[in-house]
Amino acid sequence: MLKLAPLTLLVLLACLLPGWAQVPPTLGSIKVQGKGVKVGPKKEQPFRKRFYLLRGGLEANKALVDRLRAVEPASRDCFYCRSKASPEFIDWLKEKNCETPYCREITAEDVKKVPEFQAAYRKGLTQFRRPELARKWITTNLPAGLREGIYRQKKTLLAGLLGDATPLQSVMTDSNNAEANFIDIPMGAKKTEKFFVSNLLPVEMDGKGYIWVCEIEITPGKLAPLPLHTKKCETIIRPLPVCAAGSCDNK
Amino acid sequence: MRTALRILVIALVAVCSAAWLLLSATAQKRRNEFFHNTAAHKKIDCASCHKTPTANSVSVRGFPDVADYPGHSSCVQCHRSDFFQGNNPAICTICHTAPSPRNGTRFPFPVRSRSQEFTTIFPHNAHQDIIARNERPDGTVPAHFVNASFGGLMENAQALAYARATDAAPPADDPPPQFNNCAICHQTLSAMPKFGNRQPMRAQALVQASLDSFAPRAEFFKSTPEGHASCFSCHYQGQKPVRTDCAGCHRPAAPYLASDVITRYSLRFDHQPQHHAIKDCTVCHVRITQNSDISTMKDADVPFMTCAACHDKDFEKERKNRAESIAAKQPAFQCAYCHVSEIGRFETPASHRIP
Repeated sequence: MLKLAPLTLLVLLACLLPGWAQVPPTLGSIKVQGKGVKVGPKKEQPFRKRFYLLRGGLEANKALVDRLRAVEPASRDCFYCRSKASPEFIDWLKEKNCETPYCREITAEDVKKVPEFQAAYRKGLTQFRRPELARKWITTNLPAGLREGIYRQKKTLLAGLLGDATPLQSVMTDSNNAEANFIDIPMGAKKTEKFFVSNLLPVEMDGKGYIWVCEIEITPGKLAPLPLHTKKCETIIRPLPVCAAGSCDNK
Repeated sequence: MRTALRILVIALVAVCSAAWLLLSATAQKRRNEFFHNTAAHKKIDCASCHKTPTANSVSVRGFPDVADYPGHSSCVQCHRSDFFQGNNPAICTICHTAPSPRNGTRFPFPVRSRSQEFTTIFPHNAHQDIIARNERPDGTVPAHFVNASFGGLMENAQALAYARATDAAPPADDPPPQFNNCAICHQTLSAMPKFGNRQPMRAQALVQASLDSFAPRAEFFKSTPEGHASCFSCHYQGQKPVRTDCAGCHRPAAPYLASDVITRYSLRFDHQPQHHAIKDCTVCHVRITQNSDISTMKDADVPFMTCAACHDKDFEKERKNRAESIAAKQPAFQCAYCHVSEIGRFETPASHRIP
């Protein structure tokens, strides 16, 4: 009986310990900070840009980094120029730095100015018979290429860049401070772990394409700041092709 | 022996009668309810019954929509016999308020009080991507995609600086900014909704809730889309999923009664003060831009860390009050900065503790 006592005590301890012990945190978090990035005379910042989180540091994601270094970014102007968008349409996008016509409300003034909007509005008027509805639903009558083409192109580029790599998470920077939070990053029992953070798709600023490639080591339970302008990140700057209206090739 | 046989026959007749009554009642009940998820209905394409748009939609909704029930022809192919069951066939009451040859009045479509059979598929992440601007608009409070013209932007950068420096309400001629990307679907309410406390699932209540007379205002809450209005402005045609692709947005689910009660952990949170209103929604709703399936969202999902970024001193006071009350072996202090007492009386969750 006495021989069994230590064993009983051990079993009892094993049962009770989980309740007593503080469960160590197993989730990490990273705050991407784009505030320090100021590009060109307009001091552009990466507002509303998507960043991706992958396990492992730069070394573990070397193939991806190599692909990012070699990427040939396409500019918004060239995309729409090749899509045969009118100069007025491109100017409308550029006016508020939009990528797609979904970016902002298309006003009655815009309809007057931009031929694509005029055509879509006329179609809508015939179909919906209500001027206000034809204007508000104008994108439903725009050609697919102008409507979502740039988004599709970016998705294709992203799939090519990622290859077999699968991001753990992706988040978008806000428009207040160009900040984004990766939260609840599963880390298991590890004390620290290296992660790879990048926007992957070149961000168009001041006529160039910007890619941030970052490595960060994080500890569970602590928010790890990741300022894009510090040495934690390498900035890959790629020249963007220039396409003035009507002078782009149609590749 | 003969008596026993008689009893057996009587019992058998009683059981059979009861079973018949039960089955016919169930069948009757089923005939006046419509279920999409029956084996026979699941084989049919949605568009073979639902016409988009229905003839009444513009007058009822103001835009082309599915605003009425399918016609008789959709039902009669399989349910012809049900249409001739008695003087007042049960099948008619699925759509008609008081079925009779002279009264064709139908319930408003859809009947909100009936059980729902579909959940909505909505990827916030894709929507955030396609509408992104390359930069914060000059001279504008942070806002991003501005389609569908739900309200205007406050074109005044000074208001942003003013709001950062003060906590005061904006001047009357400077309305708070509309974050149009989110505001297309989620608008500030003007009428008081039904609301309630969202109860913590695992935490223990430390004390009885003290009397709390706090009452939120309508503007504390945001709407959620109840129809196709905000979807069809882009997806009516062209942009997939289009209006006829019901399965593009609706996923079959076990029937459930949708609640119109908005529940919150932090009922005291007000979106309207300038220091909140000037912020991009994603500053606090941090997971929204990564969410690809609305059904995986537990709630509006604001992690505590986003509140603590500005309010940590306020929270520190609450933590101190609670710690002191417990140390003094008094009833636990009920946190009241964000919560009403119904929630503030619970034990402090791990997320609220100092790391």
